[in-house]
Amino acid sequence: MNKEIEIELRAVRRSFREGDTEHVVLDNVDAGFYRGEVIALRGRSGSGKSTLLNLVGGIDAPDAGQVIVAGVDLAPQTEHARTLFRRKHIGFIYQSFNLVPTLNVADNIRLVLELNGISRDEADERIDELLQAVGLADRADSYPDVLSGGEQQRVAIARALSHRPAVLLADEPTGNLDEKTAESVIELLDRLIRGTGGTMIMATHSTTIASTCDRTFELHEGKLVAA
Amino acid sequence: MIPVSYQASFRYLLRHPWQLALSLLGIAIGVAVIVAVDLANASARKAFLMSMDQVTGEATHQLVGGTRGVPEDVYARLRVDHGVRSLAPIVDGSVEIHDTVVEVLGVDLFAEQEIRAFTSEASVPTDTGEQSQQNLFRAFLTEPGSVTMSAATAAELGLRLGDAFTVVAGGIEHRGTLLGTYGGEHGGLDNIIVTDIATAQAWLGQAGWLSRIDARIVGDDPEVVERLESLLPDGVRLLTAAGRTQATAAMSQAFMTNLTAMSLLALLVGIFLIFNSVSFSVLQRRGLIAVLRALGVTRGRLFLMLLTEAAVLGLMAGIVGIVLGIFLGEQLLLLVSRSINDLYFRVSVTEVSVDTLSIAKGVIAGVGAALVAAAAPAVEATTYEPRLAMARSSLERRAGRSLPYIALAGAATIVFSVLVLLISGRDLVAGLAAVFLLILGFASCVPLAVRWASKALSPLAQSVGGTTMRMAVSGIGASLSRTAVAIVALAIAISATIGVSVMVDSFRGSVQEWLEQTLQADVYAGVQRGAMRPDLIEDLANIDGVSAVSTSRRTWIEDESGRTQLLAIRMAPGAYAGTELLDGAPEDVWTGWESDDVVLVSEPYAYQHRVTAGDVITLPTARGDRRFRVASRYQSYDINASAVMISRANYDRYFEDDGVDTLGLYLSTGTDVDGVIESIKTISQGRQRLRVDSNAKIRNLSLEIFDQTFVITDVLYWLATGVAFIGILAAMLALQLERAREFGMLRALGMTPRQVGSMVTVQTSVIGLLSGLAAVPLGVVMAWVLIKVINRRAFGWQIDMAIEPGILVSAVAFAVGVSLLAGIYPAWRAGRNRPAIVMREE
Repeated sequence: MNKEIEIELRAVRRSFREGDTEHVVLDNVDAGFYRGEVIALRGRSGSGKSTLLNLVGGIDAPDAGQVIVAGVDLAPQTEHARTLFRRKHIGFIYQSFNLVPTLNVADNIRLVLELNGISRDEADERIDELLQAVGLADRADSYPDVLSGGEQQRVAIARALSHRPAVLLADEPTGNLDEKTAESVIELLDRLIRGTGGTMIMATHSTTIASTCDRTFELHEGKLVAA
Repeated sequence: MIPVSYQASFRYLLRHPWQLALSLLGIAIGVAVIVAVDLANASARKAFLMSMDQVTGEATHQLVGGTRGVPEDVYARLRVDHGVRSLAPIVDGSVEIHDTVVEVLGVDLFAEQEIRAFTSEASVPTDTGEQSQQNLFRAFLTEPGSVTMSAATAAELGLRLGDAFTVVAGGIEHRGTLLGTYGGEHGGLDNIIVTDIATAQAWLGQAGWLSRIDARIVGDDPEVVERLESLLPDGVRLLTAAGRTQATAAMSQAFMTNLTAMSLLALLVGIFLIFNSVSFSVLQRRGLIAVLRALGVTRGRLFLMLLTEAAVLGLMAGIVGIVLGIFLGEQLLLLVSRSINDLYFRVSVTEVSVDTLSIAKGVIAGVGAALVAAAAPAVEATTYEPRLAMARSSLERRAGRSLPYIALAGAATIVFSVLVLLISGRDLVAGLAAVFLLILGFASCVPLAVRWASKALSPLAQSVGGTTMRMAVSGIGASLSRTAVAIVALAIAISATIGVSVMVDSFRGSVQEWLEQTLQADVYAGVQRGAMRPDLIEDLANIDGVSAVSTSRRTWIEDESGRTQLLAIRMAPGAYAGTELLDGAPEDVWTGWESDDVVLVSEPYAYQHRVTAGDVITLPTARGDRRFRVASRYQSYDINASAVMISRANYDRYFEDDGVDTLGLYLSTGTDVDGVIESIKTISQGRQRLRVDSNAKIRNLSLEIFDQTFVITDVLYWLATGVAFIGILAAMLALQLERAREFGMLRALGMTPRQVGSMVTVQTSVIGLLSGLAAVPLGVVMAWVLIKVINRRAFGWQIDMAIEPGILVSAVAFAVGVSLLAGIYPAWRAGRNRPAIVMREE
């Protein structure tokens, strides 16, 4: 495995205020994830898994410390710069799929490609490829509300990978799926991400899913430790 | 104790204060407009009736005559020869004091006691400083020009007791002295001055004539009435005082009904907004509603809960609306009373009188509108299955499935409105009801049309602006459960703008054309009240450059149905073309114009009295009632719409009045108009104050008055548009709230705040565009109905409809502008949706 570090967290601190109380979610976190690695991120509800994903994805900024992704420290960047970075280098998969209800399957994927300035012809090609890969080649014109949960998540995976991001962040991607469907989705995700050589951090409660990953980390009382 | 289920529901509203505030504001403005128009109308009417009551006093009947009134000797004969008591002669008319027009009431104090006690109740200081009635009687009889008036009128004219002042009547200056004032208990006497009958006759040029004789017949005793009628000479008739007051007040009824209809339009738009708000709040709470249902809340209780909520909202908004309405009413009152003064009768009123009926109407409108608007969404909410969440897509599918049925019902309503128009004859209220049905029917078809349009425009949007643009456009059709009502509300407001603008524009065009045709002389000189001095007329006709003159005399004839203007015209040679005849060939009409007993009637007169060419009408002449054949109807947009035109020859023959009030001067080619105007002023200087204007100036002044009359219309439809603006803003805000996750996700995918904001802006612009386009056909149809049905039924005017494309284009642009403006804040908010929200909610 190539041992080049893709994601590095240096003394990252993130807290939230609620009234007069300050909740420290991430407390002086240091970590490094290698390019091509698949990481499982575990922890109890509210332990800060989503916050960590948000920081890595440039959705959120830390109170202190550095978040270096693909060689760029996101912490000092403006919101606009982080947005442009995210658009190009990050892919997201959510528990509840979050497909755009007014766009069909193909257009949900096309939206990301268009944002990245991919030409229409190339976008068509990639959409075909991705839909073949996720087994939904015949559902390109379907709208999200007629797809099953598993199908919607496969579209979300295709969308997240469409622009070939360096980092894929998955937040409980199987949380809304039955066991069998979850298994097939994870298998698909694993196959596709390893095929692209990208890095994936997946927040999950499932030990089974975590066991398929290269390494597992656990968030506990603001600290990230290898499990 | 408020049930917990109600508390849960209410707290939801409180957690969204902006939406709550906008809902309240929407309905509050609707109620405010209703209350304001109602208060302004009622106050103007009340002031008029109060004034008439004071002036009429205890009189139960009034004797009226022809154009000059009742000969003075009729009064003397009735009182002296036939012993009829309880009669009081009156000479009234308008004069100017310090450039303010006031009404003169000339009375005989000795005859007044039984009819109007107040005329002798003025405070008159004696030499010793005491108050004395004796003084009043003595001064009235011995000092010509002595007047009394209300203290408020004296203050307005800047007069104090004993002050002498100039009274201008019929352009002639007279002297007056303020003898005494009435206290505040005599409300309704503002702008009225009381003087001795002889003084009034001298000022108003009515020597030997009375305007009317007031009579008091106790208990309306039929025998007394019959006896009095038997004693009256030909040409004098007995009318009931109440009927006469009502007939005058009724003249403005159509005007007031139209204003009320316009205020209802604002409420209709308001109802759509409440419907919008309640629908939103129900849709957004579908999770909560499902939980309540799962916990055992029955459908009935849920329905009641939502209706209670709507009623409370309606009540709160109603109260705010009433307060706003009282304030707005004061502003509208100025416009209403100005229009009534311009068009119908003098009314002096400066502040609204707040009556409980108007307040009740406001509360009923607020609560009623909220309940009507809430009923449909509340029924829908009860059909939700008791499960924890309902997919929005299924809601949209449900809404989508119902659209064709709603459109079908709308089409049926349109057909029904046409039927109402066809079968309702001349009924104005039915005509207005048909307009409302038409609006409702059309509004029901709009959502389906928007869905089609959104679908049709999506590919275009894709090719122009890519997927983002397409999302914006297709999002409109896909979120009709949220956007449809706002689109409909805006479409209605814009269509009203188009309808009213086209109507006013067409009307203005017709009036302009009519003025150009009617005003044939180059210069007009005349007096507004009274008559021009004959020697002055002769001198003016002899001014160098004047090639011909025309004369006109405007007087009034009165019967049970009200007052009609009688226009006696001596046309200049060849000036017949100035009158546009609506029946028959001009040569046939004009051939017997001077010699036969014929008249022309204005189009509104013909409509109101149901007469046409060839019919015979009876006019009360100085020689008694006389029958005249209607030679033709003629086009007229005169303020005094109901008019009869008679040739000067016939007028001289039958009406014993040689007065002329306006002289039209035709100038030879090349004559300087301004020079002639200067000559007229020089010649009349010190003899009689004349109003002298060129043809062009009168045309401009007339159009200014026309525009002034429609200011109130402008104000009302701006208010309706304001309500629609709030609706769009509320709808877009609610939609952004609903779609916060979606926007957060788009931000997570890499869309910048600007891109998300632009998407929302495009969406609101397209909403505006679709609303504007939908409003065009409705607006044009509405204009046609307003012109051909409502105006005709209300005022009897025939107007040619002319559609200026600019009105339609600017209305659509206006709709887009309003939407864009309403979309600014939601767009800004949508762009600021933090993508973390999506992650946090996982």
